[in-house]
Amino acid sequence: MQRRISGALLAASLLIVAACGSERVANDTTATSAAAQTTASGATMAAIDTTVAADTTVAAVEGTITVPDDYPTIQGAVDAAVPGDLILVKPGTYNEAVNVTTDDITIRGLDRNAVILDGELALDHGIRILGAKGVAVENMTAMNYTRNGFFWTGVDGFRGSYLTAYRTGDYGVYVFDSMNGDLEHIYAAGSPDAGVYIGECFPCNSVIDDVVSEHNGLGYSGTNSGGNLLIVNSTFRFNRAGVVPNSGSYELCYPERQTTIVGNTVHSNNQADTPAIDVALLAMGNGILIAGGVLNDIERNLVYDHDKSGIGLVPFLEDDPNDAVPSPDTWETTCEDSKATTPVDPGGAILWDSMQNRVIGNVLSDNREADLIVASAGTDVSTLGHCFAGNTFTTTAPNNLETLAPCDATGSGDWKDGEYNVAAWLGETHPPSVEWQTADLPTLGPQADMPDAATAPVRGATGPKAIDLDAIVVPSKPA
Amino acid sequence: MLGYRTVTLAAMATVLAIAGCSDGAPVGHEMHVHTNATSLGQPDRPIAGPQGGTPQFIVECPHSHSASDDPIVYPGQPGKSHLHEFFGNTDVDAFSTVESLLSSGTTCDQPLDTAAYWAPALMRSGEVLTPVKSTAYYRPGEGVPAASVQPFPVGLVMIAGNSGATGEQPLSIVAWGCGAGIERAVLPPECADGRDLRLMVTFPDCWDGTNVDSNDHHAHVAYSSGGACPTGFPVPIPQLQFSVEYPVSGSTAGLVLASGGLTTGHADFMNGWDQAKLTSEVELCLHREVVCGVASGRATG
Repeated sequence: MQRRISGALLAASLLIVAACGSERVANDTTATSAAAQTTASGATMAAIDTTVAADTTVAAVEGTITVPDDYPTIQGAVDAAVPGDLILVKPGTYNEAVNVTTDDITIRGLDRNAVILDGELALDHGIRILGAKGVAVENMTAMNYTRNGFFWTGVDGFRGSYLTAYRTGDYGVYVFDSMNGDLEHIYAAGSPDAGVYIGECFPCNSVIDDVVSEHNGLGYSGTNSGGNLLIVNSTFRFNRAGVVPNSGSYELCYPERQTTIVGNTVHSNNQADTPAIDVALLAMGNGILIAGGVLNDIERNLVYDHDKSGIGLVPFLEDDPNDAVPSPDTWETTCEDSKATTPVDPGGAILWDSMQNRVIGNVLSDNREADLIVASAGTDVSTLGHCFAGNTFTTTAPNNLETLAPCDATGSGDWKDGEYNVAAWLGETHPPSVEWQTADLPTLGPQADMPDAATAPVRGATGPKAIDLDAIVVPSKPA
Repeated sequence: MLGYRTVTLAAMATVLAIAGCSDGAPVGHEMHVHTNATSLGQPDRPIAGPQGGTPQFIVECPHSHSASDDPIVYPGQPGKSHLHEFFGNTDVDAFSTVESLLSSGTTCDQPLDTAAYWAPALMRSGEVLTPVKSTAYYRPGEGVPAASVQPFPVGLVMIAGNSGATGEQPLSIVAWGCGAGIERAVLPPECADGRDLRLMVTFPDCWDGTNVDSNDHHAHVAYSSGGACPTGFPVPIPQLQFSVEYPVSGSTAGLVLASGGLTTGHADFMNGWDQAKLTSEVELCLHREVVCGVASGRATG
């Protein structure tokens, strides 16, 4: 079962010239791949001349599998792939839920806007990577899946580039219990949870770069993640709430910590007509909301037009906890090591306070309860250790946060002056969720295509790309 | 570390048919006669705590319907059972069979899960407190090698817990709690506002390899202990933990289960899954030891 492209099929693929044709391919996920049945001839690729005509957009080279030419389904190609292979997917609609269990393969659409995985509101995940390391997914769209558009779980090394997730029942792009990866050039809209999520990892060693996430319950969520986790150069708008990292004992590797949020545009997250989980209902009207997270760096973001806060550092209340809140001396414990600890029943609700977050150089406006908020539900907020410096803002709660809690200096003032009652959120009436299947979403417009998709070499997915944080400036306001 | 003597299958069957529990098994409750049998053994401890460390796949199934039907215990006898709350398959009645399930719809968020799940109704002062939803967690039994877990065979039916229990049942099989929290209690606790009372029932995770049902509906399956299945039940199957969320917070005064007292918690399962999907989830999630989804007590508003 090592090689799977027969000589005949290979010859056919050498002649392909219309890789970006407009044919629509409707594939049944349950259909047996005829190609797969007929290509077990074991033909070796080594001796094949890979020279192709100049106008060929798909080069049939060793380790390249083309869908639908070589296999009619993406799953068929994935099942045939071996580590190192590149799967090129031609434009078409693929009604598949693809599962990937092979390390180090790349699945690439030839046209992000025309390679459509459509779950038809019935299939669960567009592409799901299960414990397979180093899998890259590039340049395609997944829509109408009951759970996630793209989902990595339990992997070391992941990458999603030039992906569009639209109308999904859980998350758009979901990365769980995984580390060392990139999510970049993503558009995600129409999920009740987060458009983009990285959770249960420490250190995550991952980058989220150039994402647009809108019309979701949450723009970004990351529960119990952090540690060299960068969220940069992205836009979170028109969600119920924008960027909402949180701690919680319902999953492992708490608390959320050491996420770096720099150079993002976060605006107008008051959207009442999205599908929404309960946290999204509660967090509605906030831009960047740290809910029980610690040691995060929030710098040089542009944050405006929110009914509540621009940047809020608030507690996360768990009425039904699965463990006690860990002490700060465990904050450097890796996710892997923390999995071995035995949880205890704390005997009642627990409160995750946000602590020791740094909020520097952000530009905030028109955040109508306050541009900057620090709050707890019982803890003396002067003890939480946050700091604020160099922000452009109009209002804070408590008042004068930059004086109360400057960075690398001693604060002064009255923390009771203008203190914020976050517990009031629990008593508010929130606009109800709408069904994700029928939520009113913006028409899916064309998204930026991956450059040279047909010819770009395999890049792999072995770890986060380098980001020059210092070079990132506050984004300018979009027109 | 099993407490079982080696017995022949026939002898084991006899013990089970008469007593429901074998000798030497780590069971914490009295032996029962045929009508309120339980499966052999019990989990070593209640399954509780944060998700994300144990391989699993989950299915969330809103409430479907209520009926005094039980196609396992009273097949073909509509109205004979105590009142049940049904989840998942939308057409379950006293006449349901595995075949009929496969042609029906489901309330589950996994459309290929057309299995039938049910539990007793919860009532207060005669008023039925219709459940909100259920969550089915599929995992390897604690310590059981994940790669050894086989999908439920086609047509498997199971009952977990004892609807005729006259005293406490093992917390590892039947427990009450609040929301998705760690608490496991014999009787319903008072839950905080906004966190619904849950009944959590853990099904057997070892199968005899032959029978998809048995006379008492318990004897063909058993619980693993110490990471191993007992003699006579060689096939590890997913450990199904089924959690029913009733719309109750605060006071528990006056609550009763339709099956009797609050200690008669139990749940029933008929494998009406699309078998190919069930098999692939077992292989992809459990064998590969990854978390294919989490249920966090979150609800869509």
